[in-house]
Amino acid sequence: QFGRTGTQQPARPTTTSSEISYLNPQEFTIGGTTVSGTQFLDKSVLITISKLTTGDKIMVPGDATSNAVKNLWAQGLFDDVKLNVAEIRGDSIFFDIVVVERPRLTRIDLLGLKKGEVTDVKAKLNDKTGKVVNENLLKTTTDIIKKHFNEKGYLYTDVSIAQRKDTAEANNMILDITVDKNKRVKIDEIVFTGNKDFKDKTLKKYLKKTKERAFYKVFGSAKFLQAKYDEDKLTLISKMHEKGYRDAEIISDSTYRSSENGVTVKINLYEGPKYYFGNITFAGNAKYPREFLETLLSIKKGEVFSEEKLTRKLSSSPNGDDISSLYLNDGYLTFNVDPVQTKIYGDTIDLEIRMYEGPQYTVNKVMVKGNDLTNDKVILREIRTKPGQKFSKELIVRSTREIAQLGNFDDTKTDPKPININPNEGTVDIEYNVVEKPSDQIELSGGFGGGRVVGTLGLTFNNFSARNLFNMSAWKPLPKGDGQKLSIRGQTNGKFYQSYSFSFSEPWLGGKKPIYFGISAFTSLQSNGLRDSDIDQQKIRLNGMTFTLGQRLKWPDDYFQANTSINLQQYKLNNYNQFIFATGTSYNFNLTQEFSRSSIDAPIFPTSGSNLKLTIQATPPYSLLNNKNYAIATDKEKYKFTEYHKWKFESQWFQRIYGKLVLKAQAQFGLLGIYNTAVGQSAFERFKLGGDGMQGFDYLQGSEIIAMRGYANNAVIPSGSNPTIAQGSGSPIFNKYVLELRHPITASQSATIFVLAFAEGGNTWNSFRDFAPFNVRRTAGFGARVFLPIFGLLGIDYGFAFDKIPGLSDNGRQPFTFSISQALNGGFN
Amino acid sequence: CKSKYEKLRASNDTAKKYREAIKFYDNKNYSKALPLFDDLITKYRGTAEAEDLSYYYAYTHYKLKDYTTARYHFKTFADTYASSPKAEECRFMAAYCFYLESPTYSLDQDNTLKAMDALQLFINLHPKSERVPEASKLIANLRLKLEQKSYENAKLFLDIGDYKSAVIAFRNSEREFPDTKYAEEMQFLTIKAQALYAGASLEVKQEERYNEAIQLANEFAVNYPTSKYLKEAEQIKKSSEKAIVDVRKLIATETALLEEQNAKIKAAQAAKDKKQEDTKNNSNE
Repeated sequence: QFGRTGTQQPARPTTTSSEISYLNPQEFTIGGTTVSGTQFLDKSVLITISKLTTGDKIMVPGDATSNAVKNLWAQGLFDDVKLNVAEIRGDSIFFDIVVVERPRLTRIDLLGLKKGEVTDVKAKLNDKTGKVVNENLLKTTTDIIKKHFNEKGYLYTDVSIAQRKDTAEANNMILDITVDKNKRVKIDEIVFTGNKDFKDKTLKKYLKKTKERAFYKVFGSAKFLQAKYDEDKLTLISKMHEKGYRDAEIISDSTYRSSENGVTVKINLYEGPKYYFGNITFAGNAKYPREFLETLLSIKKGEVFSEEKLTRKLSSSPNGDDISSLYLNDGYLTFNVDPVQTKIYGDTIDLEIRMYEGPQYTVNKVMVKGNDLTNDKVILREIRTKPGQKFSKELIVRSTREIAQLGNFDDTKTDPKPININPNEGTVDIEYNVVEKPSDQIELSGGFGGGRVVGTLGLTFNNFSARNLFNMSAWKPLPKGDGQKLSIRGQTNGKFYQSYSFSFSEPWLGGKKPIYFGISAFTSLQSNGLRDSDIDQQKIRLNGMTFTLGQRLKWPDDYFQANTSINLQQYKLNNYNQFIFATGTSYNFNLTQEFSRSSIDAPIFPTSGSNLKLTIQATPPYSLLNNKNYAIATDKEKYKFTEYHKWKFESQWFQRIYGKLVLKAQAQFGLLGIYNTAVGQSAFERFKLGGDGMQGFDYLQGSEIIAMRGYANNAVIPSGSNPTIAQGSGSPIFNKYVLELRHPITASQSATIFVLAFAEGGNTWNSFRDFAPFNVRRTAGFGARVFLPIFGLLGIDYGFAFDKIPGLSDNGRQPFTFSISQALNGGFN
Repeated sequence: CKSKYEKLRASNDTAKKYREAIKFYDNKNYSKALPLFDDLITKYRGTAEAEDLSYYYAYTHYKLKDYTTARYHFKTFADTYASSPKAEECRFMAAYCFYLESPTYSLDQDNTLKAMDALQLFINLHPKSERVPEASKLIANLRLKLEQKSYENAKLFLDIGDYKSAVIAFRNSEREFPDTKYAEEMQFLTIKAQALYAGASLEVKQEERYNEAIQLANEFAVNYPTSKYLKEAEQIKKSSEKAIVDVRKLIATETALLEEQNAKIKAAQAAKDKKQEDTKNNSNE
């Protein structure tokens, strides 16, 4: 016997024959190989696997012999593999492979766990089916299960394994694993020792996820989770360092069971003295003078020494006003800064900020990786770090944001990397790594409305490719990859209500400039279900079509966008008595020009930036052109071609004010004007203020719905007007102001939740003469928003209206409002 | 009641299962063969049938167009049964699966590069194989894809008006693929991009940049004397030359204007100084 591995150690020689020695390998011809110890396995196959083929010339000992053992071992079928030399005859060698077969695992049955837990544990155990059942397998299995539950706070999990022969298969085993999680362990107490300057309470606050249990903490978790606790220890120390105690450390810590299902955590600290900044000097700065860098650093002599503040000012300010950003945004890719503590006297530390500026780099190549669906051009055209430009961290960040806004990629995984840094040429390549995410939406729903079932089917494809519509090989399952958007939606409850819409948009019309092109069409119908031939039929049909062209502007800055659209709507009424006229056809043909600027940093929960939008919408002034006497015209004639001009201005600001608290300020104004007093106010396009802001059947009149929490839908009517008429028709002038404080609860992939408190003021007027922008109805309240990717933004608000609106039930008040908004384009409501 | 197939799947008669699975495979019913092979592959590990079984298993995945899995099993086969007569075929198939997974040029070419590596490895391992010509052809196809990607992405910069970026990207592309079929067109487009870049530059920078375009056009004429783009290249050269003359004139007039203005200011200043001096002299008198 000269080579064996029982455990996975390299084969050690145990020489029985004086001829074989690791110090003196010799060449032999294999005379034959035999296998012994097999129970169920085929010997000839094992010989094949060992690759000890008769007739081969090999060195003994050598690679071939150790590989033979290794190869067999790799099969995972044995508990032991030995390679013995049976005989040596001249230069021929005869091997005998001795194996010990072990029962194999058929499956693992987990007992004592819930179904979900079983799935989780099984996923962690991977698939051990077919492996050899030995001590090692039992131990690792036990450890994996214990660790799994330890991480969830079950510190005292019991695992027992029973082995059972599988009667169905020879030489197979089933493992019955009984798991008793026992109770979840909570923290009874956290005890600090060695702290003088820091209060226990302060230190406990630094432990973010490790909390003591207390009767008043209903939701707060006092679970003991080892992984979180380890993280917390690091935060604890870094927080102490931040406060100037740069020598602070944990000398020792322990956790022990202090009750049935509780532990006590003991942390022994060394605080050390409190340090202060001394003299700060700069070295290696050629581009910027000392004075300038000092201002940027903004650390004064005598300030409490904080490693955290120093790093923030040198390289990691969230606003990008640190020294590294200054250089990194100007091509100095290899810029490096290192604060060196030159002198420590007493509690004061002198620093020398050593800087290495390096050459200025230019972008050479830009590459995209990970785009398995979306074509290069869709991403490349949004990227702002193009070949020939100076390297800039800021532009990379902006490019990453633009890529995220395409909506086809997982924005948390977009990873730009500077690669191939070439200091001689001063060039760098930038590789944008993206991860595609499914962006298509399917809406299939059934609801109950008007006493009947309403069915909805909607399909939205956010990464469509119209160009490949007739290229069958690109259908997987639809032609994709050009960043176009196609959506189709149908909603019906049979004869009474039908609505169908279609839209398509292309963000880069013609592929040369970021010109947005959109086309959409819809048709909808509401009736009492009778046939067209029936004289009692009541019916309103709406047909519409819109073309939009949009362009990003470079002036006044590159956040501006201009959109022009042409809309044509046709209203066909038959005995429809809820409208200005009952039977007839009316057309609303208008041209809309919109200027907008958006610089908000996130669509759902913005923390900075602003949104501005100016919209002008106008129809041709028919009455000034057609010589019709509107004073005596019938309603039907009067309203055949609707005429108006409409002006809207909307603005929003977001600003983080303290911690995670964000202030939102918003102002809106809208005016519907007339060309000719004889024609009067348009029946369409009026404003309806109040309520949840959700579009109901009001679109039949082409009204614009503006939310105002605290009041009922359409409740904010001009003072002194007839409530019924004003509520039904809407008003030609409105304005609204909002101040809102928002605080996030969670912001994860699957849901974003935030709470808010608001104060609003808004009003409507019948004519510009009466318009008084600060004479508003006021409300205040609070609410919450939940964003779920499939549903959109769901909201609930409680608002109290201070001003009564006479003539309406409850004075127009409605404390609770619910809202759902699917589209997040600006969200001015 | 279970179907015959379900019963077969559930049974422990591995020999029968094996026979039926092969039958399904031979009858091209791969989706039925696969679950049976799935069951058998663990059971037959370490036995004489294992080799054939893994060969069939890999092909079943391949026929079902699951190239990722097929590739893995072909490779495992080639590694495990290195001395098998089928090893060469499986190594080729593993590379070929990568080839099939290489997407159109406008998407991430990770699999293209991997396919090229795998095919090259095949050629190196089996230089005498009859599959070498095919492997070489496949590599050439993949390379063409990379060339097209490089060309199209450089052209994108020209299309969207980033002329400077286009010039750099075209040059990089030519450097990376010197013998590309797009070489002639790219050289021409470089001239075009350079001239447009010059035109969009500040006046003081224009002459130098137009000169670059002219030089590129001259080189192009030497490299491709019979090119279909030659005429247009000559035109760009001519208009660049004209633009240089124009911009020189413009700068000259502007400088003259500036000098004139400066002179006026100077004269006015001098007059003012003189007047001051005069009054000073007068008051002194």
